[in-house]
Parts: sequence; C-alpha cells; structure tokens
Amino acid sequence: MDIFWFLTFAVLLAGYFALEGFDIGLGVLLPVLGRSPAARDRLVGAMAPFVLANEVWLVALAGVLSGAFPASQPLSRVYPLVVALLLAWIVRDAGLWFRRRADGAAWRLFWDGALCAGSAGLALAWGAILVAVARGLRPLDAPGVVAGAAGGVALLALFAWHGRTFAAWRLREGPRAGGRALLLSACAAAAPAVLVTAAAGAHLLDGAAPDPALTVLSVMVVPFAPILVGAQVWVWRTFSRGALPTFF
Amino acid sequence: MDVVGLARLQFAVTGSLHFLFVVLTLGLAPLVAIMHTRYAIGGNPLHERMTRFWGQIYVINYALGIVTGLVMEFQFGLSWSGLSRYAGDVFGAPLALETLLAFFLESTFLGLWIFGWHRLPRGLHVACIWVVTLTAYASALFIMVANSFLQHPAGAAEEGGRLVLRDFGSLFTNPSLVFALPHVVGAGLWAGGFVMMGAAAYHLFRRTPEREFFTRSLRLGVLTSLAGSLLTVGFGYAQFGPVASVQPGKFDGAVPGTALGLMIMIGQLVQFAVTFVLAPLLIRDLLARWRWLHPLLMAMTPLPFLAAIAGWLAREAGRQPWLVYGKLSVADALTPGLTRADITASFVGFAGVLGLLALVDYVLIARAVRRGPGQVALGAADLPVAAEPAPAHSL
Repeated sequence: MDIFWFLTFAVLLAGYFALEGFDIGLGVLLPVLGRSPAARDRLVGAMAPFVLANEVWLVALAGVLSGAFPASQPLSRVYPLVVALLLAWIVRDAGLWFRRRADGAAWRLFWDGALCAGSAGLALAWGAILVAVARGLRPLDAPGVVAGAAGGVALLALFAWHGRTFAAWRLREGPRAGGRALLLSACAAAAPAVLVTAAAGAHLLDGAAPDPALTVLSVMVVPFAPILVGAQVWVWRTFSRGALPTFF
Repeated sequence: MDVVGLARLQFAVTGSLHFLFVVLTLGLAPLVAIMHTRYAIGGNPLHERMTRFWGQIYVINYALGIVTGLVMEFQFGLSWSGLSRYAGDVFGAPLALETLLAFFLESTFLGLWIFGWHRLPRGLHVACIWVVTLTAYASALFIMVANSFLQHPAGAAEEGGRLVLRDFGSLFTNPSLVFALPHVVGAGLWAGGFVMMGAAAYHLFRRTPEREFFTRSLRLGVLTSLAGSLLTVGFGYAQFGPVASVQPGKFDGAVPGTALGLMIMIGQLVQFAVTFVLAPLLIRDLLARWRWLHPLLMAMTPLPFLAAIAGWLAREAGRQPWLVYGKLSVADALTPGLTRADITASFVGFAGVLGLLALVDYVLIARAVRRGPGQVALGAADLPVAAEPAPAHSL
C-alpha cells in the first residue's frame, strides 16, 4: 500500500513540474517574449486557463505528504526554502489575478513584474529544494549554498525553455509549434524532480502511515481518480486551441 | 515572544486572513450557481448579468482564498511537525482528502468556469460552477473534520507514543463537528448575503441606473442572510452541550470568553435586525425604496466577518494549551530545532505579503462593486490567437 502512495506522490510531483513548469517558465520570460503590454496579454492569455489546473498538483502533493507520509517531515528541514517558495508562489498568483483588475499602464506593469519575479522565485526555490533533498537534507553549509544556487539557476533555464515551447505551441508561432517539442520539454522539466524523488524514496517510505490508514485513504480517493483525471483532460481539450481568454 | 508564541501567532494571523475570504466564498458560490442556473434555464439577460457581476466579486475574493490557503496547508509541515509525528496517521487523512477530493476539483473546475465563457456549452458551463460549489463545501467538511479532531480526538487510540486510526467514521460523527459544520456554513451564507445587501444598498443609495438589478440583489442578499443567521445562531447555541461534554471550561479563559461574548453580541443583534426589520421590509420593496436606511446597510456589511473571526478565536483559544485536546500540547507539537530567526522571518513575510494583498483585494472588490454590472471582465470577449497584424503600408 505504501508503494502505491509513493507512486502517487511521484506522479503528482512529475505532473506538477511538467505542467506548472511552463507557467513558471513563461512568467520568467514575460519581459523577454512580451515587449509590449499587448504581447504580454497574449502570453498570459495563453497560460491563464491552465494555471489553476496546474498548481493544484502541488497542493495535492502536500496533501499526500501529510496523509500518507506523515512521519517523513521533509518540509521543516528546508524551512527557509519552503517559505521562499510559498512567498514566490503567492506573489506570482497575485500578479496573475490582479494584473487586469484595474486600469492604467503602471498598475499592469507592476503586477506583470510581480508575475515575473514570483515565477523566477518559484524556479530558484524549487531548484534549491531539489538540490537540498538530493544532498540528504543535511544542514546547510557553504558548498550546499553554492550547489543550491546552481540548481536554482539550472531549473530556471529548464523551465524557461519549457515555457517557450508551450508559448510556441499554443500561439502557433515559430518553427517549434508542434506538440512533440512541448512533450519533450515537459519530460525534461519533470526529470530532475523524478530523479530526486527516486533517490529519496527510501526516506519517504520510512515515514509512511500504517497500512490501515493508507487503505482508508485509498478507498476514499481511488473511486474519484477518473474524475480528477477527466477534469484535467477536459481543461486541455477546451483551451488548447482557439481564441485567448482575457480574464487574467 | 518565544518561538512557540511566534509560530502560534503566525498560524492565527494567516488562518484568520484565510477565513475572511473562505467565509465569503462559501456564501457566494451557491448564489452564483443559482443565478447561472436560472440564466441557463430561462435565458433572461438579467440573470446573465447577475451571474457575471456577482461571479466576478466571488472570483476576486477567491484569489486571496487560494494564496492564504497555500500557507495554511504547508504550515502544518513547516512549524508543527510534532503534530504529524504524533497524530499524522489520523489527522493527515482529512487533510489529504481535502486536497485530493475537494480543492483539486474546485480549482480545476473554477478555471473551466472562469475561462469557459463563449467556449463551453451552456449546460456544462453551469455544471462547472455547481462542482465548484459542491467541492467548496466538501473542503469545509474535511477541514472541519480535521479541526474537530484537534478539539476532540475521536476515533483514535494511542499506541507506542502516537495516535493510530481506530474508526474512520468517528471522525465524521465527532461531537465537536456535527453542530459546528452547519454553524460555519450558516456564517458563510450570512456573510455572502450581507456583501450582496451592502453592495446593493450602495447602488440604490447612489441612484445608479441599475435599479432592478440591485433591488433583486438586495432581496436575495437579505433572504440569504436570514437563512444563514437562523443556521448560525441555532447551531451556535446547539454546540454548547456537546462542547461542554468534551471540552469542559473551554470558554472560561479571558481570550476565548471575550471572543465568544463578542461573537454572540454581534450574532444576536444582527439576527434580530435581519429577522424583524430587514426581512419584513422586503414586502413591497420598502427596503429598496427607503434610501435613508441604505448607509446603515452598508455599514453593517463587515459584521458577519468580524463575528466569524471572533468565533474562530473562541474555538481555537479555548483549546489551549493543547494542540490535540488532552493528548498533545502546542509546545510539544512545535518543529524541533525551529529557530527564532526562521519563524520571525516567515511570520513577517507571510503576514506582510498576505496582509497587503488582502487590502488590495478588498479595494478591488469595492472597485468592482462601484463600477457595477456595466463593466464586468468575467465573461468578456476573447482575444484572437493571431498577433495583431502590423498596420499595412498603403501602396
């Protein structure tokens, strides 16, 4: 039973990186790909209908962590990094939700800045967290800081590339407008997280809840799995083509 | 303040901020769903305008509900790892169910609803907002199950120094839950109704051209508050017996006692006003016509929110010094080795950023109300996918 929930954890994490990765990457590239306010509106319109469906993968992951692996306790061991991740996430979301809620070029520019800075913070924090987990969640030392920073920058570059292939695919622009390039960059974006999870699997499984608790969780969740998957598929079928929504 | 105190303060501040937005979400979601359903069935353009206007208020409010909720979700693992270690096998289950069965679907379907205008068939589009409503209430259920377990750890037994799950069903029949859940749901409807009433009073007072729109909204708001106030006050008083049986002396302390007193005072007075003044004045639309009353209605709008925060303070402060009542103290649940620098930095960061965003969000809600149903972004026209063509040069 704990293996089933470990696989669920891995799938949610891989899904989060593959999906939210392009939102984060596009946010980082916003000032580069969108030189004018109108161009930025198009880029945000391309990702907007996906963001809500993408970021829930991480919330679900946190739920699985507390329900299925309560004794694994990874969050508190990278406390400052998780706090930075959450703050960046909040700022990124605020940028998306608020950028069109009032008029004026300065208002829009400010929240586009928040969207870009929050996205960059998300990528950097994730890179540093993955490095910290790969190093066995040791207390932070000087080489750890350097490695964490390098991991953050590397993940930022990876997400930026993923965001670019998503924009090319959704907006049908440039030579890489095909779905194959997007699939490739999605796999690449998910790869680091999958590798680190596989490496840290033993630690996670040590913290698993006992079988009766996991069985209850499975009985409650598994019947709804087709609805969860179906909702995600419906989002992609609805928003992959056609005009760009303007609410965000 | 010591590390435990700071971690408690962080949880209390972020939790209170979260609930200010959650309570309105719970109140507005069913109202928007009903409006949308009426539009889908009857095709009355007024119902479409009501859906989009109140839907936009709902959605702006929801933004802060999400970001404050993220912090709540992760805070258990960050600051209170002792809780997961001791009771995670039981307490973690409702949290996991909330994220997987409720929030995951709520957020996904809300995205479909927000961005699905002009795109989804009308019936399916309406179904989306109903799924959003249903899952919002499922969230409330699971979170209240988790919280009630902290008030009264039913269904679990201690084995080898940690709690293990004995009876999953007992989590849902917990005496701390069964009357508290409808009490909270009622508070949500009350808050949603009052926001609708206050916004309608503003437009009627200003004599904007949207008279019919806001006369109807005023009626819906007052009737919703009436239903909400009956649920809230009724199930509020009904809780005293079960609470006293599992947490004797809960409200004896200064903080829970004061918070409880404030909540009851607001609840009683406002329920009296709604039941015996505002609801009867709906006859022949007297309430909409008596303009001198409208500033008072606007001033009353924040009261259910104030009462809701006071209610949570009473419930949570009355649990002290326990995190899991009678089993695990708050101090013992604190993450070992959490430093003062860490918790101070995170508290300043979360409280500062979320506090500022909450203010901005309320300003934006007020702005959306002021602009009225004539300028609503929700459901506005889409943007063509092709980039704007460069202006053609004339030959």
